[in-house]
Amino acid sequence: MFNLITTRKFTKFYFTNPRWWVFSRVMAAIFAGYALATTSSLFLGQLLLQSMGEYQAFHIGLLLSFLIYSCGAMWVFSVSTAKKAWGGLISLNLIFMALTWLLMQVNS
Amino acid sequence: MKGSFRQSMKWLHTWVGLVVGWILVFMFITGTAGYFDDEITRWMEPERPLTATHIDKSKLLDISQHYLETHVKNAKEWRVILPNSRDANLKVMWQEQPEEGKRFGKFSTKVLDTDTDTGLAIDNLRETAGGRTLYRMHYRLHYMPSIVAYWIVGFCTMLMLIAVITGVIFHKKIFSDFFTFRAKKGLIGWLDIHNVLSVTAIPFHFMITYSGLIFFLITYMILSVNIGITETQKDKYFNEVFPRTVEVEKSDDYQPLASLSDMYAKSHKYWQEDTLAYVKVEYPLDKNARVKFTRWNTDLTYNPDDELFFSGETGKLLNIAAKQVTMSGQIHRGFISLHEGLFASPMVRWLYLIIGLMGTGMIASGLILWTTKRKPKQMKNTNGPDFGYRLVEQLNIGTIVGFPIAVAMYFWANRLLPVEMENRAEWEIHCLFISWALLLIYPAFRSGLVAWFEQLKIAAFVFCFIPVLNFITTDKHLGISLPLRDWNYAGFDLVMLVIGVAFAFTAYKVKKHIPVAQKSHAKLTKNDIENKVTDETISTLAATKETS
Amino acid sequence: MILLMSLCFVSMTLFCLAMEKHRKQILSSKFINFPLPQIMVVSFKPLAWVMLFITLTISVEQYGWSIGSAVFFGALSGCLLPLILLLTYRANLIILVSVLLAIILFVIEL
Repeated sequence: MFNLITTRKFTKFYFTNPRWWVFSRVMAAIFAGYALATTSSLFLGQLLLQSMGEYQAFHIGLLLSFLIYSCGAMWVFSVSTAKKAWGGLISLNLIFMALTWLLMQVNS
Repeated sequence: MKGSFRQSMKWLHTWVGLVVGWILVFMFITGTAGYFDDEITRWMEPERPLTATHIDKSKLLDISQHYLETHVKNAKEWRVILPNSRDANLKVMWQEQPEEGKRFGKFSTKVLDTDTDTGLAIDNLRETAGGRTLYRMHYRLHYMPSIVAYWIVGFCTMLMLIAVITGVIFHKKIFSDFFTFRAKKGLIGWLDIHNVLSVTAIPFHFMITYSGLIFFLITYMILSVNIGITETQKDKYFNEVFPRTVEVEKSDDYQPLASLSDMYAKSHKYWQEDTLAYVKVEYPLDKNARVKFTRWNTDLTYNPDDELFFSGETGKLLNIAAKQVTMSGQIHRGFISLHEGLFASPMVRWLYLIIGLMGTGMIASGLILWTTKRKPKQMKNTNGPDFGYRLVEQLNIGTIVGFPIAVAMYFWANRLLPVEMENRAEWEIHCLFISWALLLIYPAFRSGLVAWFEQLKIAAFVFCFIPVLNFITTDKHLGISLPLRDWNYAGFDLVMLVIGVAFAFTAYKVKKHIPVAQKSHAKLTKNDIENKVTDETISTLAATKETS
Repeated sequence: MILLMSLCFVSMTLFCLAMEKHRKQILSSKFINFPLPQIMVVSFKPLAWVMLFITLTISVEQYGWSIGSAVFFGALSGCLLPLILLLTYRANLIILVSVLLAIILFVIEL
């Protein structure tokens, strides 16, 4: 009886229902994935700047962003925990942002 | 997530398909219809004259020029759309001078009468939403602001892209099962047909999904665009990636337009084949007027030879430098051309239709596969199937069969609504959505296969009746269009008939699978008792035989 | 277009024949009941690839590079559905259809 009360209470706080984790992954795929698409497109824009001209490079980054988004979303649902998914996407975003900033310094 | 990568992809594929499957069926059906939007519009305006494609193009240009010069004096641009295999009537279009602060003025289109020598426009065309609106609903949906529709459509397309990719990933025997289709009842049959329809048209499915997203590239990647380029740079971006020809400067000096048919005669020097499609006159009746002749596309991206420019004042050919489209711009345009299929010759367009229908079938079979797989377990539930299962089944029936019926009702409304009715075009669309809503709700009140059977019967009837309706209400029915070989009107009626027969055949096939126990006892015949339809039926019959 | 689809159909039939289980389906109900010589079986696949390549070339020649390659893939997808349906319901007709299409191809070429 005591166990029931505590587990029910804690369920609400600790989200042991697996549906919460699925929801968390969906949120990661949608929002962190979209951020990934954005940062990767900016990164590609900077990467290809020298070889293709400013706007064409940016355009190619935009065109590829959908593919990167799909890969990101698929990856989110293939890792073992939702935490790893969030962690991975956020760190990738930060890496791309850092690289973009670096390349911007190089290119200007 | 689910143990192995493949299993996670399978889970993702199922859920992603389920979430947006029904809207995708809507988009595929409207999109497939959109490949024939001109033809559908023409059918929906039966007051149009019959074909004008046999008339010489110079004469058609003269008629259009005469009409535009007489009736449309103050316009920013004139357009002439010559009759072709898609739309056999001569049309003119013009854009009025834009109001203060706006880029574009009001567009108007008129169909010109080429049967008599009046050179006037056909005035009694009924106001109709046409095939155009059916196609517009493909990306603009309806009853909501454009931007909301674009995001919904984009969300669904993105999920479909994920479905296509995950589908390929987790299909283990994609090459060895390439030609496999075991036409068996139940899960195996549905799985195989789903695989066949998807794998055989993979290039199309991937292309159509990706190009669909590319249409609204700037809208969807709005964050990137706002961060990556500033407002001042935006013009430079568009000019580099999508260059335009030099804009015409209005001079405000009146100058009558040189003869279009003379320019057409000159164009033969540069275009060996006579494939002139459109003529656009920028700032007509102005000293700086410029005429652009466009022929049918010879390239998916951009071929500068597809356009010829003439001076409006002298009628001489102008040497305008070709646009320097960048590689990424060409890729972008190429994808869009592939999606729209405007380059397609009639046979290729029919191929687009068939493969579009295969895509619809792919999504529909996927949705049906979901319910078929869960059916045995759901049917054993003591309180009947779960809410989720029933919802999916109801939406399946209401969309896969219900939406085509709604489209047929759209055509019915075009023929049946009074011609002088106000807001007629809007009401044709209302009919479509009202009937769809009714068909979505109705399966809730009937059990599974019976609802399928009844809706299929309705579908067969509404489609087969369209040629009859055409016969009753207009003079462009099969009796007239077939002898005169107007393949637009005749073709539409025949296609409706074929679709109706296909639904009838499907209804016939479904009827055999309806468990006998679901039919009322009064209707049980000796035949039914002898036919062993399902295992459930046998046990039910055994039970009833014992009690009777 | 018919030319392209016919060529694709024939080459896809060859791919079918290259596979054991489909070869049985297609050839089972004809009078050719003995196992085919190994040389023939092995040659089906390369022959099919060559035909596909020829089809692509013809398409590009007729329509130009961009439209040509797009139309080629369309023809490929378009001919697969009839082939698979035939394979399931009337496998014995496939050889006949392929031969007829090949004859039509020669007629068109001339």
